[in-house]
This record gives sequence, structure tokens and C-alpha cells, in this order.
Amino acid sequence: MIKRFGRTAAVVAMGSAMALGLVACSSDSSTEESTDAATAEEAAAEGAAAEEAASGEAGGSVAVITVDPSNPYWKAEVDTAVAELGALGYESTVNAHGNDPDKQNQFIDAAIAAGAKAIILDPAGADESVGAVQKATDAGIPVFQVNAEISEQGIAKAQIVSNNAQGAALGAEAWVECMGDNLDYVELFGNPTDNNAGIRSTSYHEVIDPLGFNMLQQETANWDRQEGKQKMELMIQAQPDLKGVIAGNDEMALGAIEALREAGKLQGTCVLGFDGNDDAVAAVAAGEMVATVLQPIVNGTKTAVAQLNEYLTTGTAPAQEKQSIDCILITPENAGKVQGFTLSE
Amino acid sequence: MSTKESAGRKINWSAVMVEGRALIALALIVIVFSILTPQFLQPETLLLMTRHVAMNAIIAIGMLIVILNGGIDLSVGSIVGLSGIIAGWLLQGWNIPFTEMVAYPQVWAVILISVAVGAFVGWINGVIIARWRVAAFVATLGMLYMARGVALLISNGETFTDIKGSPETNNQGFVDVAFAAPLGIPMAVWVMIVVAIAASILLNRTKFGRWLYATGGNERAAILSGVPLKKVQTRIYVISGFCAALVGVLLVADLKAAVPTAGEFYELNAIAAVVIGGAALAGGRGTVRGTIIGAFVIGFLVDGLVLVGVSVFWQVVIKGAVIVLAVAIDQAQQRLQKRSGVRKTQASLTAPSAPTSGDA
Repeated sequence: MIKRFGRTAAVVAMGSAMALGLVACSSDSSTEESTDAATAEEAAAEGAAAEEAASGEAGGSVAVITVDPSNPYWKAEVDTAVAELGALGYESTVNAHGNDPDKQNQFIDAAIAAGAKAIILDPAGADESVGAVQKATDAGIPVFQVNAEISEQGIAKAQIVSNNAQGAALGAEAWVECMGDNLDYVELFGNPTDNNAGIRSTSYHEVIDPLGFNMLQQETANWDRQEGKQKMELMIQAQPDLKGVIAGNDEMALGAIEALREAGKLQGTCVLGFDGNDDAVAAVAAGEMVATVLQPIVNGTKTAVAQLNEYLTTGTAPAQEKQSIDCILITPENAGKVQGFTLSE
Repeated sequence: MSTKESAGRKINWSAVMVEGRALIALALIVIVFSILTPQFLQPETLLLMTRHVAMNAIIAIGMLIVILNGGIDLSVGSIVGLSGIIAGWLLQGWNIPFTEMVAYPQVWAVILISVAVGAFVGWINGVIIARWRVAAFVATLGMLYMARGVALLISNGETFTDIKGSPETNNQGFVDVAFAAPLGIPMAVWVMIVVAIAASILLNRTKFGRWLYATGGNERAAILSGVPLKKVQTRIYVISGFCAALVGVLLVADLKAAVPTAGEFYELNAIAAVVIGGAALAGGRGTVRGTIIGAFVIGFLVDGLVLVGVSVFWQVVIKGAVIVLAVAIDQAQQRLQKRSGVRKTQASLTAPSAPTSGDA
């Protein structure tokens, strides 16, 4: 028994060692997110040097603080910020707070300690982030927000927010058109503690409810594809009459589509997503999803970096702090032109 | 799955009670939900819920084996994500480094490698715990982050959706294999059955099983009586990692996509199933049968609440309450058994002189 196990273990280990080799090889594909102490220190030294030498010129270190780069949406945000900053001659450090205000605070402290010239922030909560932005501003570091806002104005230099309410209304209208005479639908709600889950749902219902639609059930799937599929499988059983699904984001909508496909009910069910990620756009093009709503995160981030550069080189802050960027409806007509959260003209 | 009591042996009533508790809970859940919604007892719904349960049950069986030793494995959720990502990655075609070539492993190789990676991660856990004497909680907590991080590195945070393969590369059929339903029963359920039988045999019919119960019951005594503790400890984490990796592969087939964040918090559901199934977190006590019933209790409860349409927040509260209640009853029973055990010992000792040690 022992010997046999030993041999199996050895085989398993060998196979896995091979696989781990693969792991090691692939890991150099993403080198952008360097957060170790050495780089931070280096960046700090450089930042300080740049400040002494020539304030009023591009260059130095910018801290990019985002939510969760494992989600394609935020990954696009980070990648854009790093690329744009690099093109303008800035160095960047990337950190992710995962919507945890405490972590966000730590990263802000680290950016202050490292002497960052500016901060690009996707804040963790509207109320919770006011203190963090204030702290950075007090330390003389300008903060440029993208994607989400904080509940006070006059602290950050810019708050560039995509207009979730307007986008959700656009999506809902397209979905209503698809539904035709069918009135029964279910909703997949995002993470209930996330502001955007509520904003999107409310805007959906502002369009849908006055038209006499009948919501059979509402479940949360925490923005997650697997959970979206599981919840949808159960709702298909519980609500055999459903003809439509409104989802708070694309991942949940894609899970719902998979569940509907397995149940043989994809044909004749209208599924609405939100975010405009590549998988969802493909589903729209294939006619499986009615529509998705593209959040122009790439454009928003580009604008933020441009304004940051403007401020650091000329000292001019953006004329308006709160800037809202409209979302774009993605239907089969324009789905072919979307890639990586950008719609090519 | 069942352990046959030999005819001559007395029935161990306390063991029956412990398992019975989970069974009673399961019966209650089935009765309540079938009254609340007619959908619950439909064969289609039952099959669907069993498929959901199977995923958790497979991980929970691995977790049981670890917990029997008095250990814990918090990294299983991340191993699910990692092995799934490996499967998705290999199916997309693997760019061999330093060359222009792309390797397309066959489907069986993809499944084998993905599962082997999970077992290997478990083996690392085992070595850290058994040889370096790091507490299991800490070692596997670290691995929870590391395995998830590696999954994110490999996929660069993205989802692999192209898992169908193509005829040119001869790697088609992954979904057909891993999401098939032989005899109308989903593959995940078959895997659960096979894993359960294998684990039952391992625990009840092999030397390794006896070692495991012995080390969990009293580690010092087990070592003194010649149980190779390090070997046992390393192996159990390999088994746990292997079980988690199986689920990782099944999940990819289920979703037709490999998501790097798959399996988050699965470790907690698995631990809950083991505990509801009557296992002691301190080790030495627990059965495969109980664990599977525990997984059904949790799975049917969670899915039943969705079928009935209970508010999302209540779903979470009720799930937590059932776990706490189950363990509380378990503890009460433990105390009761101990007390009656002590009484019996005292009675059997000769009454007058024996100074029995106060509390057992």
C-alpha cells in the first residue's frame, strides 16, 4: 500500500512539476503590476528627484489604485491608465483594493510615502473614500477619479464617471422592444453592497415597470458567471413562464444564457447584459443576448490621464470636477466594432 | 458508500444519533420545501440540485479526510479555480516558450494535467504542514492566496471561453466528456459517487484509514504506536487537492468557460458540509456518509430557498443559522455521550476505593 502510493505520488508530482513549469513560463506575461518594496522605493526616490528638478514637467510616478483587475472591466481601466501614463513619460504603480476602504487607505498612505506626483483612483465606495481622497489632497497629491464618484465635491481634481443610469435606461429600452407582448421576466441583481447594482436595477425598473411587465423573481448572483448560471437554472424550474432576464452585468447574463441554452429555452428568451465585455459582445453578435451596455471606461481613463498631465505640466485643473460620460448601447448592428471596451468608429 | 456493520457487533447508538441528526435535518428540508413549492420534488429539479450538491460534496469528502486528521484545508476553493484555468488554458492551445509552436494536448491529457496540478498543490500543502510543522490553517490560508494568484497570472485575469477545441488540433470533446450525463445522471454526480465509494474504502478497509482515525483521535498515541504521521499528513492534502481539482474541471465543463475567480468561498461550504455531517473539527470522528448528507442539507437548503423565492439576505442568514444550529446540537450530544461514558466507567469500577479522575 505504502509503496504503491509512493509511486502514484511520484507520477502525480512529475506531471504536476511539468505543469508548474508551464505556470512559471506564463507568469512573465503580466509584469505591469509590480508592487514590491524595491520598486516602490525606487519610484519614491525618482518622484522626489523629479519634483526637485522640474515641477511643471511630465515624468515621475503616478499611483493607479483600482478595484479588481481580475475582472475584464477593471483590467481595461488599469491597462489603459498604465499605457497612457507610460506614453506621457510617467511611471506607474498599480494596486487593487477590491472595494475594501481599509486597503484603499493603505494604498493612499503608501502613495503619499512614496512621493507619488498624482493618483488615479477608482474609489471603494462613495462615502468611505472621502477621507482617503482628502488625505492625499492634503499631502499635496492631486487625485483624479475614474469610474465611480465620492459623495463630496471640491476635493478631487476630477471625477469622471460613466453614467450608469442613462446606460441602464438604454439597455432596458432595447430589451422592452425584444420582449414584445411577453411580460414575465426575472432579474439577476449584482452584489447588493455595490452602489452600481442598485443604480442599474433602479434605472431598469424606471423604464420597465410603467409598461406593465411582471417580475416573477429577483435573485442576486454577485456579479459572478457561475452563480448566475446556478441561480438561473433554479429560476427556470421555479418560473417556467419566464420570457426575459435583466442582469446587472454581463458575467451574470452570460451565466443565465448558458443555463437557458441547457434547458433549451434560449430561443425566445430576451437576456440583457451590462458592461460591454468581449464575451458579451460576442453573445450579442450571435443573437443570444439582446443587448449590452458599453461603459466607455477606456475613454474615461484616457480623459483622466490627459487631465492629470495637463494639471501637472501647466497647473490647470479641469474646468468641471464632475464629468459624466454617456454609455453606449451595443446591439447586433454595432457589436462587430467593439473590442476591449472600445467602440471603433 | 455504506459500511456494513458485522452482525455480531452491537449497534453504536451514538454514531447513529450523530448521523441521524443530519438525516433528520435533510428530511425536514425536503418536507418543508415540497410543501412550499411543488417544483421542489420534480425529478428535473432534484437532478439539477443534486448536480449543484455534487460539486460541494466532492470537495467536502477531501475536506473530511483532512479534518479527520485534525487538519483543515482552506485552499480548496483556489485549487478549483487554478485547475479550471489550467484546463481552459491547455484547451486554448499552449504556446511553448522560446518557440513558435503551440501545443494542443488531447482532452484526456488536459483533464489529467489539470487534476495533477491540483494534487501537486495539495502535496505542497502537505509538505509545508507535515515537514515544516506549519499550522494547517496558516499553510493552507497562504496557499489560498498563492493558488488564486497563479490562476490570475496564467489567465492574465481573463476568462477562457474557447474550450471547444477544433478538429485540426484534435482536441475536441472536452465538454462532451466532462458535462455528459450517462444514464441521465450528470457527470458531476457520477464523480461524486465514485469519489465517495473510493473514500469509504480508503477510510474503512485500509491501513491508511485506520492511521487517519488514530492520528486524529490522539496524535501522540498514534505516533508512539508506530503510525507514520508525516506520511499520513502529506497524503491527505494530496487527496484534498485532487478532489478540488476534479471539481475545477467539472466547473469548466459546466460553465463552458474557465473563470479565474471560480471556486471562491467553496472551502467554507465544504467545511460546513463536513461539520453538519457529524465530523469533529478536532479530528478522529466523521464519516463519508455523514459528509454527503451534510452536503445535501446545505445544497438543498440554498437551492430550495431560491426556488421558493426567499429574499436574498434571508437566504444568507438562514444558511448560517442552520450551520450553527447543527454544530450546537452536535456539541450538546458530545457532552451527553461523554457524561454517560464516564458514568458507565465509574459504574464498572469497583465502588469503594477507586479515586476516579474528576472530569474526563
